[in-house]
Amino acid sequence: MSNASVPPAPAPPSLAPSAPTLLPTGLRDALPPEAEHQAACVVALLRGFADEGYERVEPPLVEFEESLLADADSSVARQTFRLMDPVSQRMMGVRPDMTIQVARIATSRLAHRPRPLRLAYAGDVLRVKGSQLQPQRQFTQVGVELIGAASVSADVEVIRCALEGLSGLGVAGLTVDLTVAALVPNLFDLYALPAGQRQAVRAALDRKDAAAAAAQAGPLADLLTGLLAATGPARAALMLLTSLDLPDAVQPLRQDLADVATALLQQVPQVGLTIDPIEGRGFEYHTGVGFTLFARNVRGELGRGGRYQAGPQQGQAEASTGVTLYMDAILPAVPAPPPRQRLYLPAGTPVEVGRSARAEGWVTIAGLDPLEAVDETATRLNCRAIFRGGHIIELKERA
Amino acid sequence: MDPRPLVLALPKGRILDEVMPVLARIGIVPEPDFERDSSRKLRFSTNIPGLEIIRVRSFDVATFVAFGAAELGVAGSDVLMEFNYSELYSPLDLGIGRCHISVAEPAALVDADAPQQWSHVRVATKYPEITKAYFAARGVQAECVKLNGALELAPTLGLCERIVDLVSTGATLRANGLVEVARIADVSSRLIVNRTALKTRSDELTAWIDRFAEVTRARAA
Repeated sequence: MSNASVPPAPAPPSLAPSAPTLLPTGLRDALPPEAEHQAACVVALLRGFADEGYERVEPPLVEFEESLLADADSSVARQTFRLMDPVSQRMMGVRPDMTIQVARIATSRLAHRPRPLRLAYAGDVLRVKGSQLQPQRQFTQVGVELIGAASVSADVEVIRCALEGLSGLGVAGLTVDLTVAALVPNLFDLYALPAGQRQAVRAALDRKDAAAAAAQAGPLADLLTGLLAATGPARAALMLLTSLDLPDAVQPLRQDLADVATALLQQVPQVGLTIDPIEGRGFEYHTGVGFTLFARNVRGELGRGGRYQAGPQQGQAEASTGVTLYMDAILPAVPAPPPRQRLYLPAGTPVEVGRSARAEGWVTIAGLDPLEAVDETATRLNCRAIFRGGHIIELKERA
Repeated sequence: MDPRPLVLALPKGRILDEVMPVLARIGIVPEPDFERDSSRKLRFSTNIPGLEIIRVRSFDVATFVAFGAAELGVAGSDVLMEFNYSELYSPLDLGIGRCHISVAEPAALVDADAPQQWSHVRVATKYPEITKAYFAARGVQAECVKLNGALELAPTLGLCERIVDLVSTGATLRANGLVEVARIADVSSRLIVNRTALKTRSDELTAWIDRFAEVTRARAA
């Protein structure tokens, strides 16, 4: 049986060197209209942040390794491209994340500015490997950091800002997942669980396997089972969470989580809110409430953030809260804007005509060749209208 | 109400026979085509509106769920170990499809073998990641030859000396003159859930996980 519409297979690819257009794994060209769309989304997000008092900073793409990775865990260090600075002969890193850079700026050059300090940023980061869901190694981050404020209201402000930015772009079905990543390690410490056992319990918790976690956790079994059950939609999970008999030392963490959740339910009731007190992946350096942003039917995280210590590990570290949005994950969830209408201005059209057409919202495409066939060129360049005889004339739809 | 149905990914073959009674007890009945081997369909409706079933290869169940193409799935812990997808939760051991993943070698080799002297072994397996990690933890570099079936042939025909494969009764090993020399892990089938889906469709998915858990507890009791 043959199918006439299927073309024959091409000759098998040779093992010759790759085509010159091949880019390295995880790197890509953004083309029209996608590149324009992303830039517009970044601008819209930054404008929203600026309206709430977050001032833009722009750190460099590359820094010395020590400052770039100073207060980061090793998972960030493993994601960093390094290169030798031929001038200073020191090792430099290409930023894998911008939070650390902004925290460095806040606690050094802007250390004298009054607190709380609100900073915003946008830029590309580069990572050694993409994740399973987002294979890109270069992508754009947009975010804010609220430096020198360790409070529930600071956490809530940052989460609300991010949510309002995203819904402003038209992202539908937003949900926030709240966690307190420090809770489980604190419980491990309080119950003096041996290191090997911690690893096994952590692995079970990461899989949300309640039976396996309980079997490994010894004296913590009941508490961890309770915490796993207190996972899911916020109202029900909060009730379970508050009913748990937690040790005094970790009660402030639970209280913060409950307070942030209650405030969000009140301030952004249209957004789905879930609680997951045992989520720990990617929150290794967070000290308080952490959060992840999702949207229905969008693969992966749109952003994440939480409370952390900004600046050097010892000394003048400052409690801070921030959020980072990942543009590569967000863009597919943003409805594409309608394409702008293009007006063809044949060569020789007075400059003022173009100015006033653009003021009316047209995109103008100037003709360069006075001898060309105007209609064909305008059609070929995807214009909807032509300026002719002092008027804007709509082109007929092509059959 | 979400316009997108929930998709449950099930593995073809051995495990499917054990999963179907579990689904029956939960009250999920796939359309009649599902039971017909002659059907070419890959996607099936069920008696529950908004719940579909897909039937894919066991290794692909984890991939479909990790990437959010299916929200729920049933996958062996061997597959989960091999891929180690961070976007999956496996909240429930269904207690079916029990076997283990083991190292096996020809009976003749066992007596002469001195594992403490190995620095490098060549192993035929469907599980290169598990195999490399297992041997690396013992200071041995494993060169994996990826095969997709009939692994027991590899040592007999000289492709390699050892294999890493699933063992349930050991009958296939014995029939090919192989002996299980080390057990890497016990294997059973897990209910798996996509991470994003569990966060964004928490109510629906938590309800399904609870129903699977109930039935599993009832079976164990």
